[in-house]
Amino acid sequence: MSDATSEVLLRARGLRAAYSVDAGEVVAVDDVSLEVRKGEVLGVAGESGCGKSTLAAVLSLTARPPLFVQAGELEVEGRRLDLGPDTSPPRTWRGEVVSLLPQGAMNSLNPTVRIRDFVVDIVRAHQPKAKRDEAIDRARERLEQLDLPRCVLDCYPHQLSGGMKQRVVTVVSALLDPRLLIADEPTSALDVSSQRVLIEMLKEMLARDIIGSVIFVTHDLPVLNTIADRIAIMYAGQIAEVGATREVIDRPRHPYSAALLSSVLVPEPAIRRRRVTGIPGSPPSLLNPPSGCRFHPRCSLASETCRTEAPPRAGDERRYSRCWWASRHPDQTVEVTA
Amino acid sequence: MRMVRFTPRFWISLAVFSVVVAFGVFGPMVAGDKLGEGVGGLYDPPSAQAWLGTDDLGHDIFTNLMFGTRTSLVIGFVAGAFATVIGVVVGLLAGYHGGRVEEALMGVTNVALAIPAIVVLILLSVALDFRSIVTMALVIAITSWPWTARAVRAQTSSVRTREHLDVARLSGAGTWNILLWDVLPYLMSYICMAFVLQISSAILAEAGLSLLGLGPSDSVSLGIMLNWALVGESLRTGAWWAFVPPTVLLTLIAFTLLMLQSSLDQVFNPRLRGGRRRPGLASLTPQTGVGLDVRGEEGGER
Amino acid sequence: MRLRGYLIGKTLWYLGAMVVAVGLNFLLPRLVPGNPVDAIVAQLGRSGTQAETLERIHRHYVEQFGLDQPLWSQFLTYLGNLAHFDLGTSFASYPAKVESLILEALPWTIGLQLPAILIGWLVGNALGALAAFKGGLFDRGAFLSSLFLSSMPYYCLAIILLYLFAVALPILPPGGGYEYGTTPELSIPFIVDVLRHYWLPFFSLVLIFVGGQAVGMRSMAIYELNSDYVNYGRSLGLPDNRIVRYIFRNAMLPQLTGLALSIGTLVGGALVTEIVFSYPGIGYLLFSAISQNDYPVIQAITLIIVITVLVSNFLVEVAYGFVDPRIRAAQAGER
Repeated sequence: MSDATSEVLLRARGLRAAYSVDAGEVVAVDDVSLEVRKGEVLGVAGESGCGKSTLAAVLSLTARPPLFVQAGELEVEGRRLDLGPDTSPPRTWRGEVVSLLPQGAMNSLNPTVRIRDFVVDIVRAHQPKAKRDEAIDRARERLEQLDLPRCVLDCYPHQLSGGMKQRVVTVVSALLDPRLLIADEPTSALDVSSQRVLIEMLKEMLARDIIGSVIFVTHDLPVLNTIADRIAIMYAGQIAEVGATREVIDRPRHPYSAALLSSVLVPEPAIRRRRVTGIPGSPPSLLNPPSGCRFHPRCSLASETCRTEAPPRAGDERRYSRCWWASRHPDQTVEVTA
Repeated sequence: MRMVRFTPRFWISLAVFSVVVAFGVFGPMVAGDKLGEGVGGLYDPPSAQAWLGTDDLGHDIFTNLMFGTRTSLVIGFVAGAFATVIGVVVGLLAGYHGGRVEEALMGVTNVALAIPAIVVLILLSVALDFRSIVTMALVIAITSWPWTARAVRAQTSSVRTREHLDVARLSGAGTWNILLWDVLPYLMSYICMAFVLQISSAILAEAGLSLLGLGPSDSVSLGIMLNWALVGESLRTGAWWAFVPPTVLLTLIAFTLLMLQSSLDQVFNPRLRGGRRRPGLASLTPQTGVGLDVRGEEGGER
Repeated sequence: MRLRGYLIGKTLWYLGAMVVAVGLNFLLPRLVPGNPVDAIVAQLGRSGTQAETLERIHRHYVEQFGLDQPLWSQFLTYLGNLAHFDLGTSFASYPAKVESLILEALPWTIGLQLPAILIGWLVGNALGALAAFKGGLFDRGAFLSSLFLSSMPYYCLAIILLYLFAVALPILPPGGGYEYGTTPELSIPFIVDVLRHYWLPFFSLVLIFVGGQAVGMRSMAIYELNSDYVNYGRSLGLPDNRIVRYIFRNAMLPQLTGLALSIGTLVGGALVTEIVFSYPGIGYLLFSAISQNDYPVIQAITLIIVITVLVSNFLVEVAYGFVDPRIRAAQAGER
């Protein structure tokens, strides 16, 4: 966990990315700005289609057609990168500066390559002169540090269990000591005990400064409760609310956050996958988002302004809520009906 | 019934194929008695009396072409139908029962697949004294059912585990009943595509056999026309009207049917439309509201 | 070693298939009611062979194959003869032995098919992979032309090429393995002559084979391009050439399997191509044998075809076992 005085590791401004589809353009990430401090875990939560996986792709510099990054600015530990339709991010940033821990780690390993050969390839991609043995040793050390058997290096992916593959992928993603690790739904396909193991691994890596910070993208709020320092709630491509975990969970200031929270019956990591009942209507089509505030068709606190004008950010950089109601009621919390 | 959107490719290939079929069906009706009639000298070039010239017996090639198309199409359809039916039955039984039955049936299928079709076709055709159209169709079907069986079995296996089958079984329905009403509907789109491919390969198989000299006795087919062209040395003497028309027609049929099958594939699997798009885009514009679903799909949302 | 289990399994299976094939080769013609020799001799008689020769053929055949004996004993005789590579005596070219006819024709066929398979496979896969990576117009053009070529039967292309380049524009000879009237010898002019006659048949095989491979490889490469491990590798900063190598290796695997199937089709297609070009290979031999009802030759050729296809399929499957680490585990029942 970090404190409020640690330095800022990531500053992302004005990120905008869209999918090019037959019917037009689907803007999945619309003017998103984030700030992450060193040692911090920022959780990004939201439902299917809110754009959080797209955000993960944009931040990890892995967006590719039909997904196009249209605008944005990244600053990681002082290094700046402008994003746009014509710029392609430097290859070496990937894995070294920002790194992706992908969804579906099961299939992320090349089935016809041994883990150790894959590791060598990765290291050589960033240090062309690296010796094979050095690269393998480095991986071996890392595995030991994190309490994993060294022999996995000699295996093919199909010889490892699902949980082991997830852990191997986690180690590989952090092999080059990336400053920012973006985890895209890492726990979704895991059973509860494997989830716990993974979360412990992430915490361990943070403690040893193997990784600088983590952005943890998930739909699973209870998991964020155990690992995230701050939470950002996404809705329809935008950030609805962001703040410290306890703040957002105990005192949400956006109607959507409250609705999400009321859907989690018991906030324990042991209980996952709750079907929600409750909010009328459906998530908006990102092809043609609603006018004004995107949540207004389904919001019980909606006013006239909400229908016509996009809401401002109520609060400061580290803790805000994008909501008209929140800006008019600066210190109040939205009711969470449990 | 699912909503299916037909693509331009489908309509175009269907239209072209229909023209060919019309040519083969209505042509002979119009020119019924002219078959076998000597209309000119040997290998006369195209003229007003013989639009595509004459062959090495003085017969009108255009008439031959019409009757030949008809024979080829008939054999193609009949053989395709036989092969599809056999393949579907074998595949259904293997996929549905699993276990020993599946192993046995698939064992036979795999061996049948390993033995090159041309060999069986030749051996059977040579042995027959008189090769009627139906017999030819049977012979061709015997060599081409295996790949359909294998594919149908794979599809059936995946359907087998669905719940509605358990319901059917519990309510006492017999195997054939279940296969017909509960399993088959899921496979219909695949069977359509397989049938189209079977027709195409049957037509080409017949043409190949006929070219070898093992075609249907006492009939004209596109392949037989090619055989005549070869034997009558038309290639050497440059009488292109003897071999180019049947070749063009055969290529046209093969290509059109292939386009038709691939367009059916597009229709039934909309993901394939538009070439290289990633699957999963549909989840971006969620359909109807079931309230807020915070679960998400395992590994599928974006 | 798991690989050993895989190899043993495959060997046994192919031996079994071979047995079935030989059995079929023996059995199929005899399924037709009536004494085949009588029918054939009758047909020969219709085409005007002398009565004396007919008698000799009749006796010889009955003797050699023991047609008056029960079926199983005929089969044993057949197998026995095969073991000695005795494929019988030709009817039409009596008393020429079948082996000598085949041995004369075989080199021409192998010379045509083997390079076609090898070159076609290499060029086709390279073209398909290239099209997948480049995309755009190159991809469209390559894909459509490959698709068109691969859907065409071999003999159709043969006829088209023959017409275009030997009749309409007489650049290349229209048929034969070499100029009529010349005798084969090992001299430069003869070799040049053989090559001149080689191009058209070769291209009519290779173009279609390339088309088929290219289409398959392109689909596989596109599929692999979109796979998770490619995305992950890229996300870790792997350069494009390394990614390409991964994709190639993985896309090759199903292509190897496809090769096994394609060989079967090519062998059949090549035969008919020979016929179109009057190329003096096994296909042409088969053609004349069929037109003359020369039974022993037909049977011998079909046997050779089956064995060749089965053997090449076996070799391909063995190669596949060495290349794909997953298959080795799956075949031996491990997960």
